[in-house]
Amino acid sequence: MRSSLLRAIALLAIATTVSFAQDTLDPAADPLRRLDPSTRYAVEMLMDSARLARLPYGPLESKALEGIAKRANGRDILVAVRRVFRALRDARAALGPSATADELTAAAGALRAGIAASELSLLAATRNGKPLTMPLVVLADLVTRGVPRDTAAFTIFQLWQRGAADDDFLGLWRSVERDIVSGTNPSVALLNRAREIPAKGPSTAVPPAAGVRPEDAKS
Amino acid sequence: MTDELDSLDPNVRWIVTEARRPVPADAAARDRLIDAINAEPVPSRGLRLVTWLLQPRRLVLPPLATAALAAGLVGVGVLGGIAINRDGRPAAVQLPAAAAGQTQLPDSLAPRAVKFVLIAPQATNVSLVGDFNGWDSGASPMKATDGTWTVFVSLQPGLHTYSFVVDGRHFVSDPTAPIAPGDGFGHRSSVVLVRQPSL
Amino acid sequence: MCGASLSWSGAPSPELLVVQRYVTSQARRWVIDNETSDAAYVQQVLNGNSDAFTRLVDRYYERCARFAVRMLGDRDDAEDALQQTFLRAYRSLGRYQEQDRFSAWLYRILVNQCRSAAAQRGRRERVFVREETALLNAADRRQGWSGEDEELVQRILAELDPLLREAFVLKYVEELSYEEMSAATGVGVSALKMRVKRACDRLRARWEHIKDD
Repeated sequence: MRSSLLRAIALLAIATTVSFAQDTLDPAADPLRRLDPSTRYAVEMLMDSARLARLPYGPLESKALEGIAKRANGRDILVAVRRVFRALRDARAALGPSATADELTAAAGALRAGIAASELSLLAATRNGKPLTMPLVVLADLVTRGVPRDTAAFTIFQLWQRGAADDDFLGLWRSVERDIVSGTNPSVALLNRAREIPAKGPSTAVPPAAGVRPEDAKS
Repeated sequence: MTDELDSLDPNVRWIVTEARRPVPADAAARDRLIDAINAEPVPSRGLRLVTWLLQPRRLVLPPLATAALAAGLVGVGVLGGIAINRDGRPAAVQLPAAAAGQTQLPDSLAPRAVKFVLIAPQATNVSLVGDFNGWDSGASPMKATDGTWTVFVSLQPGLHTYSFVVDGRHFVSDPTAPIAPGDGFGHRSSVVLVRQPSL
Repeated sequence: MCGASLSWSGAPSPELLVVQRYVTSQARRWVIDNETSDAAYVQQVLNGNSDAFTRLVDRYYERCARFAVRMLGDRDDAEDALQQTFLRAYRSLGRYQEQDRFSAWLYRILVNQCRSAAAQRGRRERVFVREETALLNAADRRQGWSGEDEELVQRILAELDPLLREAFVLKYVEELSYEEMSAATGVGVSALKMRVKRACDRLRARWEHIKDD
């Protein structure tokens, strides 16, 4: 009687998905196992190429897992992963060798939204050690919501030049998004809200870059 | 197999031959290992699972999250360091400074507790998926209170892409977060930038 | 030294067929001889005899030590990784399935442990590689190519991308089959073959460069 109770508890434990760090042999060591072999091979090759090119490979694996979760077929997954790889490579070319993995990911998103690489290079050229991640995220989002690319890129760049910090960009995004949702023309919304942000001197104290290294930025 | 070696470039073969040399064993290290093993409880099949179950269970949250929860903070969603209430009003959040010193990882890598919220009264189940949990819908199920679904997740500082999965099938972006352009599969994902704890 | 012998029960056993397949390689023969007794030792540990685990440690410590040192380059780091590997193996013994080869299962823990150790070193490892590259060039100019130099080989391996190094060492130094490598690393066989090939290409190219200096 007792042993069957224990067995039942044991079965219940197996069904539960709480993970305790220490002793488990990590099944996540093989996350791509659900891909068909040829897709898996191609994805792993792309990840290897990313590693060798000193690009973060985490976003590639993540994209594959996303595709698996969204029940996409192997071909679509491979196309999506390849697109991420190319975007990261182009982002690296635009931002330079000192860009962090997060900046590359954000820049890849901006490129994907249609921002020109030359715009990204401009931002990168005037960094002074400030992380580009937040402005790039906001830029990509606004373009996706309908702000014309030129307007968005120019406005963000101007704010960046004037010393806007992450909080400024975030606040800007939040108010512009609310305006767009309430029916304001996206371009108008952005230009109006951008004016509300005061210019700052070049010596504004900014927190140091998050500095997540490409090789282990599997976030 | 030796015939495989023969097919290698002679210089690479030399590297392999040298690399195959045994590494002299450090007897002291081996002894330390045996001591450590003897200090461990004897492993056993199956029963171990049961004793684990019968022990009081703790959810292992990093110190920051525990402190934040203890302080009764809600809306700890750290989107750029500012908490968002659902009505859109920002509320500044100060995580207890003492907690920051308790992390074992260097500060720049210390995970932070982030709250995700989705209002979906019609949903029967909602979970959070993203690059931090392999997009696995079983990993971070959300809990509903009056149609508002929430979950706390421990995230490394930096950029994360995520989505909500409603009723196991519908991928829904977070209305309160920036959009990640083009997921490539016909859905929209959201982006969160988790900030480092302030030094 | 090898201890256990295969048990024969009249009809040719599966072990015989396996031995035939691997008989050309001395390392393989050693592995097969030990296979059945590995499982026996594990069973003894689970029955309460922790000394049996010491036998397993003795059997695998040097091989694992060699892999860890070749991967991590640093004796101290390797020792830590080794400790963690065997401790984890010991703790998780209850989860070891008899149909798995113990060595394959152990290697999986070892590979993951070395990866974690390398990741934690992170920035330091990259600096190490750059410095060592400079040192390597300097040393060669002074000494020429000396035949037996473990440090030289260690530096050469350290120049390889970690995943290429891992595949190369598992394949040629530890002499695992691709299936075993796949089980240990969680990577597909085709990808592993490509990594091994790339590692060889890079080593060949690097060596050419050394000889020309």
